Amino acid sequence: MSSKKIPNVALNEPGKKVIMLGNEAIARGVLEAGVTMAAAYPGTPSSEITPAIAACVPFHPHINVEWSVNEKVAFEVAYAGSMSNARSVAIMKHVGVNVATDSLFEAAYHGVRGGMVLVSADDPSQFSSQNEQDNRYYGLHALVPVFEPSTPQEAKDMMKYAFPFSEEHNSVVLFRTTTRMNHGRGDVELGEIEKPDREIGFDFDRNRWVCVPSNSRPQRTSIIKRMEGIAEIADDFPFNGLTISEEKMNGKKYGFVAAGIAYSHLMDTLNQFGLTEKVSILKLGLVHPLPKIMMKKIMNSVDELVIVEELEPIFEEQFKALAFEEQINSVKIHGKNIIPQQGELTPGTLNIKITQLLGIDYTPFKAPELDITAPPRLPQMCPACHHRNTYWVMKQLERKLKLKFIKNNDIGCYSLGVYKPLEAADTALCMGGSIGMANGFAKIVPEGQIVTALLGDSTFFHSGIAPLTNAVYNQNDMLIFIQDNSFTSMTGGQDNPANGIKITGEQGVKIDIAKVVEGCGVPKENIWVQEAYEMDAMMEKMEQAVLAKGVRVFIAKHMCSLQEMRLVKKNKIKLPTVKVDPEKCIGCQICVRKFGCPAISFNFETKKAYIDQSQCRACKTCTFVCPSKAFYVAEE
Amino acid sequence: MEINHFNCLSIGVGGQGVIRATQILADAALLDKHSVRTAETHGMAQRGGSVTGYLRFGSEVMGPLIPKGGANIIMSFEPSEAIRAIPYANADTIMFVNIKPIIPLSVYQNKKIVYPSFEEMQTNLKKVTQKVLFIDAAELAIKAGSIKAANVIMLGVMLGSGALPLSRENLEKAIMDGVPAKALDINKKAFDLGIAKGEELKEKI
Repeated sequence: MSSKKIPNVALNEPGKKVIMLGNEAIARGVLEAGVTMAAAYPGTPSSEITPAIAACVPFHPHINVEWSVNEKVAFEVAYAGSMSNARSVAIMKHVGVNVATDSLFEAAYHGVRGGMVLVSADDPSQFSSQNEQDNRYYGLHALVPVFEPSTPQEAKDMMKYAFPFSEEHNSVVLFRTTTRMNHGRGDVELGEIEKPDREIGFDFDRNRWVCVPSNSRPQRTSIIKRMEGIAEIADDFPFNGLTISEEKMNGKKYGFVAAGIAYSHLMDTLNQFGLTEKVSILKLGLVHPLPKIMMKKIMNSVDELVIVEELEPIFEEQFKALAFEEQINSVKIHGKNIIPQQGELTPGTLNIKITQLLGIDYTPFKAPELDITAPPRLPQMCPACHHRNTYWVMKQLERKLKLKFIKNNDIGCYSLGVYKPLEAADTALCMGGSIGMANGFAKIVPEGQIVTALLGDSTFFHSGIAPLTNAVYNQNDMLIFIQDNSFTSMTGGQDNPANGIKITGEQGVKIDIAKVVEGCGVPKENIWVQEAYEMDAMMEKMEQAVLAKGVRVFIAKHMCSLQEMRLVKKNKIKLPTVKVDPEKCIGCQICVRKFGCPAISFNFETKKAYIDQSQCRACKTCTFVCPSKAFYVAEE
Repeated sequence: MEINHFNCLSIGVGGQGVIRATQILADAALLDKHSVRTAETHGMAQRGGSVTGYLRFGSEVMGPLIPKGGANIIMSFEPSEAIRAIPYANADTIMFVNIKPIIPLSVYQNKKIVYPSFEEMQTNLKKVTQKVLFIDAAELAIKAGSIKAANVIMLGVMLGSGALPLSRENLEKAIMDGVPAKALDINKKAFDLGIAKGEELKEKI
């Protein structure tokens, strides 16, 4: 019943209070600002922003929104919007910004017409990421201003404010968020939705938009001035705030500086110990450039100043530099000496560090020692996931053919193959990196080893095509597995060119991966396309692919089992029932120890395997894997 | 009711509905006119891994995370996950633990890893807080008409026990808001059964 009502994000009811995920609040800010262009590539923790914008389209049809094939393209799509005077937004995770930087650094020179915001979703503690890079640095590096909100309400308000700011200062705004902002809910009061009433169209100003040195040299001069200009108004930025307290504790005045989610944690700690009125606090919303008057004021007002920032000491270094420049010697500046540089900042850590510094007696509750621990529960591939089938067959063939595969893996659900029991990944670097690295390994591979690369459909479209052409051109022999499940699964099952559905739900063009591969110059006889649940054929075809020469591409296809189950549920399809015949089960545990389907368990008392029917998705692969053929299809 | 801050930690296994339950509690807290913050596990970590939902509400709440030792209540959808949540408990924490275990594959793949027995888990949880309630949510959910209503049972028990300072009216509204029309009856029944169970267990906490 709730599916047809207007989602909160699209409601035209200013003043109404709703609960929103940080990412929905960001999308709401985009809507309220009258944005007409949005483009993104999914990536945790950013993935819910763009679908929330797309959910507004039926009610606010002026918005153009797309899943682009990668972050660089997404940035360029949005930037073309800005060049055409449309307010535009590009959305990606922190490592996605790395992919888009080539465009970002140049767009920083050209500036904007329609306001443009680049959303970066950083991931301190690496909940779902390969690193915890701090993208505030991109503001310093590319010379663009950086905003960082501290609550869902502020995320919405600041996002709305970012577009006119971008236009006024002729710059892309980098909007930095972190996991706890993206994936935390909070109450948000909705605001007015601006209707875009501007003329949209390209202005054909080739002296501005073409990146030849004769254009970009003078632009370099102007962007240095631009940042000086923003620095001058930073003290008036509405989301910055300074409160000075004259109170002393232990004969000293204390001050704190924080932004983003770290500011929320700081306020929780100060509240908990009744310190909010007793210390000076500089809250930053504009995290680059920093407000120098406020910085000087707090440094001159306190004896000890604590820079509470997650990850890198970006504020800390600037405070110390300014203190040196202004010869402010009276203040002791704390930063990474007490606040950890690694992992997300937690209120528990802050409670301890701040009470220690201020000499407050505080012992956090410590639970008594237990004599048991919770067994580790690592993320794993789902029941019936076809990546598991490919890995299983690869391992069988390595043994059968007495060959060792160098298994270059990539970014996606299949990365989970690195864990027990399959341990089927030797390297993984970044999106598309599997084929790139295989190009290098191909040049030095010893006898008896086979260079392989494995990546999914979305990752192939994202950045797998260029290194594939490199392999063909340079004759770098390798076997590439493309795990085609028709969705961008790890980030929540987004559509992509492999299924051809657009973010709005409309049908776009579905792109045939085998044809792309052939177009890149891989000969037809070196391309295999195989349904991954057909295990006998998987063995036979993959063996051919292993033994062939040249660049070979093996495309293992099956719809992402999570998505397939949604269809099964929707269409009320009855799945076959797979069972274990206890007479035939010899208790070898290959199914749970070596194959590792989460739907299979083992009873140590009866020494028999069994299937949890609530988890089984009837791929029937276990009937192939079991050496004693104990698994059988009970009901079709 | 004036509340400065109330911290509720939900924990379970990816796919059990931890995030949905956190969301329902957040909606109910907002309907009760509280300021609300949550933090949730999404993405890669969700794939069959341990999932945590932090919920905080009250006039002083700013950040979304619960400090270690700072949970007023812990709702665990799986018994061994309750053990994992122990760092967030203190001697006054009230724990609601669904007794149905989900055995992780790690116990088959590494001989050093064992899934603790129910008795061991019981004794260890009680070392930290005496206020632990064990609930057979599946049994009650089946009684209500569907095993899928187990989470609503848990929410009902928390409310019925008096541990959760939210109004019955608004928690019910928040639960039913996302439920398809045909499942309304089952969920209403599950909520009532949960509340009755909670009232029955009240004296133990």
